Amino acid sequence: MNSLVLLNGSPRGERSNSMKMLTRVAEGWVRGGGAQPEVLHLVRRAQFQRAVEAFAGTDVVLLGMPLYTDAMPALVKAYIEALAPRVEAARSGGANPTLAFLVQSGFPEAAHSRPLERYLKKLALRMGSHYAGTIVRGGGEALQAMPEEANRKLWARLQVLGEQLARDGRFGAAELKAVAGRERFSRFGVWVASLACRIPIIQFYWNGMLKKNGAWERRFAAPYGPAFEG
Amino acid sequence: MRITILNGEPHAASPFQAYLERLTKRLVVQGHAVTKLDLAALDLKGCTGCFNCWVRTPGECAKRDDSATVCRAALGADLLLLASPMTMGFTTALLKRGADQMIQLIHPYFVVEGGEFHHRARYAHYPVFALLLDPGPDSDAEDVEITRTMWGRMARNMKSRLAWTAVAERTAEEVADELARVA
Repeated sequence: MNSLVLLNGSPRGERSNSMKMLTRVAEGWVRGGGAQPEVLHLVRRAQFQRAVEAFAGTDVVLLGMPLYTDAMPALVKAYIEALAPRVEAARSGGANPTLAFLVQSGFPEAAHSRPLERYLKKLALRMGSHYAGTIVRGGGEALQAMPEEANRKLWARLQVLGEQLARDGRFGAAELKAVAGRERFSRFGVWVASLACRIPIIQFYWNGMLKKNGAWERRFAAPYGPAFEG
Repeated sequence: MRITILNGEPHAASPFQAYLERLTKRLVVQGHAVTKLDLAALDLKGCTGCFNCWVRTPGECAKRDDSATVCRAALGADLLLLASPMTMGFTTALLKRGADQMIQLIHPYFVVEGGEFHHRARYAHYPVFALLLDPGPDSDAEDVEITRTMWGRMARNMKSRLAWTAVAERTAEEVADELARVA
């Protein structure tokens, strides 16, 4: 296995958190002996079309995405629908590439992304593809706010996963678990997190942007019905 | 009861469209106030993750498209029926496009509920969710279960619950009667 098409399914495109993570996996892929990947952003119309065409002509496809309302973004689902003819091709004896995935979400726990992971695993089966695994990572939105130095350990782990993909044709289970971080909070963790959510500092990311945009006073706006007063 | 149907069928003339028409008629005959939104006919620009609906124009998508119509109809209902054929093992990209823009109905602040991080409610009331799927020849029971699980989590993040899931294998009238009982 040598050729890789790297697909960024984030509607934010080049500047997305998904792309930040995919870039590190791609670095590892090259380090592991893979060829320089072709990188395509599905949000760009021409690249979306190219991504459909490139699917059949590569050894491996790595599709990364953010979790949107607990599933893949509509953009990614549209891409998956465009691959329907490849299901027929596989049934007729044609080969589809190995499929690897990356799902990152803004929630700190990995558990939110597991149902989508299950879907993606079944998708690989549907396509008659070898399933290389899904990188799941919570806290993705925080990548924007963190200094580069703070993400160094995560970047290194993603590079190792890229190397594994190039070398072994799949992600290693131990490294996937390490990257996923916290699956769920413990009982004590839930208690601490519940308390933390009541102090303004935990919402600093949102408060900072609300204030910067002059929207702070309207932060609880409810244009379509009675507001929640909790 | 107020019922809003989000129709995620992209094709104008399909058996599922006809099925939904029969289901809608039955619900109206039963006395329900039904709003059926054909998402294919709406201008939905899609969520781009800009978060403007959270931090710039709180509660409203800055794109000024028909997502406001979807959100108003969803929030004004007692029951929100998500209706879609299944393609490649999940509901359509069209239905997902409508749903993605519904993040304007919740607040960015985190809260812990049921042992997990979720977003704070923006509204006092949210509709109960229901899911109607046309599996077609390409989907199996596992696909339905995966789809149900993902929409169940979405309902939970929308401060609600997925109360009912059905596949369009029985008559539209039977399904409508069952839906009315659930709601």
